[in-house]
Amino acid sequence: MERTSKVISISEAIQRFVGDTCASLAIGGMHMHNNPMALIREVIRQQKKIKRLITSPSGSINADLLIGSGLVSEVLTSYVGLEHLGLAPNFRRGVEKKTINLLECDEPFLVYGLQAGAGGLPFIPYPAGLELTDIPRVNPELYRYTTDPYTGKQVMTAAPIKPEVALIHCQEADPFGNAIFKGSEFTDRQMIFAADTVILQVEKVVPNLAEKYGSTKVNVPGFLVSAVVEAPFGCHPTSSHGYYTYDEGHLKGYLKACKDTESYSEYFKQYVTGIAEENYSQQIGAEQLEKLRQGGGVK
Amino acid sequence: MSEKVYSTSELMSCVMARHLKNGEVAVMGAVSMIPMAACRMAQLTHAPNLYYITGGSGAVNPYLEPMVPSSCDDELLRSDAALALPDVILLEGHGKRLDVFFGGGLQIDKYGNCNLICIGDWEKPALRGPGTVGLPFLPRAGRVVIYTMSHNAKTLIEKVDFNSGPGFLDGPESWSTKAKDLPGKGPALVVTPLCVMDFDEETKVMRLKSLHPGVTLEQVVENTGFQLVIPDEIPVTQEPTSIELEYLRKVDSAGIVRNM
Repeated sequence: MERTSKVISISEAIQRFVGDTCASLAIGGMHMHNNPMALIREVIRQQKKIKRLITSPSGSINADLLIGSGLVSEVLTSYVGLEHLGLAPNFRRGVEKKTINLLECDEPFLVYGLQAGAGGLPFIPYPAGLELTDIPRVNPELYRYTTDPYTGKQVMTAAPIKPEVALIHCQEADPFGNAIFKGSEFTDRQMIFAADTVILQVEKVVPNLAEKYGSTKVNVPGFLVSAVVEAPFGCHPTSSHGYYTYDEGHLKGYLKACKDTESYSEYFKQYVTGIAEENYSQQIGAEQLEKLRQGGGVK
Repeated sequence: MSEKVYSTSELMSCVMARHLKNGEVAVMGAVSMIPMAACRMAQLTHAPNLYYITGGSGAVNPYLEPMVPSSCDDELLRSDAALALPDVILLEGHGKRLDVFFGGGLQIDKYGNCNLICIGDWEKPALRGPGTVGLPFLPRAGRVVIYTMSHNAKTLIEKVDFNSGPGFLDGPESWSTKAKDLPGKGPALVVTPLCVMDFDEETKVMRLKSLHPGVTLEQVVENTGFQLVIPDEIPVTQEPTSIELEYLRKVDSAGIVRNM
């Protein structure tokens, strides 16, 4: 009997594995790197509603674009921004105008929470001192306290995070979903381990991945992955570590487009709703993508 | 005043570099071009055994040359070692691993508390900031070096609207009760485009340490939203030496820090 390939088209992956109302969606990547943008754009095209969006400790255009699409009800995050390029306009507007509900948290909440979710732990206690911020006060539902059974002291805890679906970018995978990160993993592996369903976006499907790199480098096991989608340059306008750098000009253009509704819907039509994902690369242009591949985007 | 051969951000980088001791371990987060350049320059000059970790990338001792603006860039992975992000969180939680934590905020108050969350009330913010990421670890880091590019009375204020990076809390009393068993020694240094500040040992209030060349005391007082501790003698911040500048520009050949 043949081993089953998990490689499917991007539209089928989102159709099959993301419900019309997704209870919680985790999106990988950190700052302007390794964002699974091809999958995210397809979620928007298919108008999947997201009850809770979960970012890495630093969300970027991945979260901002989704929030701007109006499909997100609430977001669990410790940061959404475009680092040295500025604040994230749709996130900012959504929180200021209360069109999204914000579950404010810090970086360790996401890291501990995903670890707890991945390992079936009921919660993870915080080291002392992190309760001194104002965050637990504004998010009492998720930041709870218990007694340390060893010392009798009060400790703050992080709730387990178990995303219904995680959208993750890996640089390469084999047809069965075994995959590698060529650069930083950020919290992407934790998301893969904690989620019920994982859709993997990759630059390249490589039949003999473990042979190519050695199995110790392949640290995503295929049985955690539901679908593999081959999407070259699928992280654009963010980077894919080891493959290409981020498109600073495009990101700046995005920030500019977000300034008013008209230019934003124009951006949306041009890059998201008006085209199939398979045509996205064409929209950016081969020459520009080649420049990014040579690391020419920011240097 | 003679014409400056260096930029203010380069001077800030030199101030931070001098603060770092040989053999220490430092960590930083997003938008940390000035601290990154400071750490690398310190390694190339007086602190060859300094270690530094550029936050989200997990890179340990990035070689940097030429430096890049993003804290998670794969260019930073040209480094001594690379950690997974959860490992960096272990180091930040441990309490004895990190000597220096670089921080900052939309607001910084007189006790060195930082705010990256919002201006105004959290429920109805006048300005929503990006979020706090790892700043809540500040009370567990050896000492905190705070920096900002905006030295004005809206950034340096009496009390932060939202505390997302604890400094000396509400002052000496709350610090000695709430933080007495914590590993961190609190904020140690504040570097701005106008001056360098530290903290008064008794009152825990920010204190002027040195004025950058060409900056007046009045300018600093006017642009600070609380009453700074002003010592009797105020030195001028030492200008970058030619050796410091040489190494800084070797690290920052693209002028990312220089042109900030």
